[in-house]
Amino acid sequence: MPNTFHFMKKDRAWQKKYEASAPKPGDMAPDFELYDINGEKLVRLSDFRGRKPVALVFGSFT
Amino acid sequence: MSLHDIYEQYHEQVQFLTIYIREAHPKDGWWLGGGIMGKMLKKGVPKAATDINDPKTMEERRTVAKQCEQILQYGMGTYVDEMDDAVSKAYAAKPTRLYLVGLDGRVVYAGGLGPYGFSPAALKKAIQEYLISPEVERGLELMTGD
Repeated sequence: MPNTFHFMKKDRAWQKKYEASAPKPGDMAPDFELYDINGEKLVRLSDFRGRKPVALVFGSFT
Repeated sequence: MSLHDIYEQYHEQVQFLTIYIREAHPKDGWWLGGGIMGKMLKKGVPKAATDINDPKTMEERRTVAKQCEQILQYGMGTYVDEMDDAVSKAYAAKPTRLYLVGLDGRVVYAGGLGPYGFSPAALKKAIQEYLISPEVERGLELMTGD
């Protein structure tokens, strides 16, 4: 079973890879479409343009 | 300062979206649930789960996302990233991150990477400052026609 160091290194590599292209203040926020927890309601980020600012909270359970 | 408190205060002016992404510390991955680390985690972040395997299908992901929503009780709607983690990658969001997107679709605030860079207080400050900015006032004029 890979140890903590293995996963830490893997996570750091992932972060380094995607951080470079992550949006910074002033950049256009990447548009997306996602379904809710029931797989029914669809949300599209760009639908809020001109209507409301959007706070995005990314996370998981662990 | 909790995300729930910020949501309660600003949800009429700001749309809040929780995006559930790939598990940071699943039991079948970088597990922190065992031993002393598990005890410390439970003490520091009592609502975090320590016994979840990384979901392998969208159905599993939605099931865990539902549990997460019920326990964390932010109050805001939860949406689930697809199995290709496209949105998480686009925002370099793993394990946890906060953003504020303005009326023009541009990023106003890009939080640091969690856990250490995850700051609800900084998000709140960004929201407060943005809502009194000229752009928002112009936006409100456009919406109301005043």
